[in-house]
Amino acid sequence: MGTLARVGLAAVWLISGGIKMSDPGQTYLAVQAYDVLPHSLVGVVATAMPLLEIALGLFVLSGLATRVMAGVSAVVLLLFIAAVAQSWARGLTIDCGCFGGGGQVAPGETAYPQEIARDLGFLALAGWLLVRPRTLFAADAWLGLGWARRRREPVAAGE
Amino acid sequence: MGGAERTARKRRQQQQSAGARAVSQARQGGGGDTKRIVAVVAAVVVVAAVVIGGVLWTNASKNATEGQTIPAVNASAADDYPERRDGVVVVSGKDSAPTTIDVYADFLCPVCAQFQQAYGAQIEEKIASGELRVRTHMVPMLVDRSDPPGYSLDAANAALLAADEGKFTPFHDSLFAHQPEEGKRGYSKDQLIQLGRDLGITSQAFADGVRNGKYDDELTAEMQRVANDPSLQQDFGEGQKGFGTPTVVANGSIVSFSDSNWLNKLLNNAKS
Repeated sequence: MGTLARVGLAAVWLISGGIKMSDPGQTYLAVQAYDVLPHSLVGVVATAMPLLEIALGLFVLSGLATRVMAGVSAVVLLLFIAAVAQSWARGLTIDCGCFGGGGQVAPGETAYPQEIARDLGFLALAGWLLVRPRTLFAADAWLGLGWARRRREPVAAGE
Repeated sequence: MGGAERTARKRRQQQQSAGARAVSQARQGGGGDTKRIVAVVAAVVVVAAVVIGGVLWTNASKNATEGQTIPAVNASAADDYPERRDGVVVVSGKDSAPTTIDVYADFLCPVCAQFQQAYGAQIEEKIASGELRVRTHMVPMLVDRSDPPGYSLDAANAALLAADEGKFTPFHDSLFAHQPEEGKRGYSKDQLIQLGRDLGITSQAFADGVRNGKYDDELTAEMQRVANDPSLQQDFGEGQKGFGTPTVVANGSIVSFSDSNWLNKLLNNAKS
């Protein structure tokens, strides 16, 4: 289960980051549409966000520093949810641009509840890994990192 | 941890499979440090590669228009009809033409470029034949949609200055033929000036006007007016109304170009 959560969360980050990365113009417009950041920061965030997502995806996929990366993932997801929620509350009509796309849309085309629900699902994956970072085929285990793994080791070895 | 316990654990480990034993020994022995160092180095290298590569790639993609020369597109029929600037509107064709349309467009708007590609040649042909007169409003609607912002306004201003030099149509067609993407770098003022030169505009007034933003204030005011003009509001569905580009107006009402034969129909209506 933990392994599935890890692979799932990694896929989310790699896919969303990859799509954003492949269309920097669209990503810029998507970040701008939230109308939160001053102009000077829009470009920086639009460039950095896909990279952060891909880096998180690689860490989570390889199972390196799983608990830390799950924690960072949760924080980033909470920021995303906050960003979508503020757009909703202010009555902006935008697409979240979570997986590419983004920017202004017609009022009938917003999907805030679905977008937030989806992010909460991803947050649940991150939460699972935060609580139980020990998973199969993880670099942490190979390296003997992570308290959870080491604490349980004698039990596992005793079988 | 006592020695007895350690011995007991060692014995238990011997019962494990060879693979598991190797992992477990490596974890406890000196090999673990080496592996950790390798892992940390690998992680740092990969992250650095992703970040550096990503930033380089993103910037290259966003600044693709930098250092380019906007290819000059000479409209085939452009020189065959009169063209004059009227405030921030460019009027193309004879005043005696039976049909007049107003076209509202933005140089950064992708649908406007598609409109130009689909109907531009046909429109120019009908202007040249004297059947059509076009009032082109290049409005700066998407000023914020380029990074850095402002291309939409700079281009609209430069096009009006090109109109003053009698080169509006080729200037307009050239910018649409190689339109910068939204959310990326547009063309700089220098690039717009160079396009003017390539189209035969040599006057200093043109270059100065582009640099100083000669018509910027008028264009901004026009954008404001157009956005609030009830006759230009379109229904986008879902109860949403507003101004959008491209918009074509004939006889006081908005023309739908979902029918690709819209122009011929308009011209035929004028004849009958």
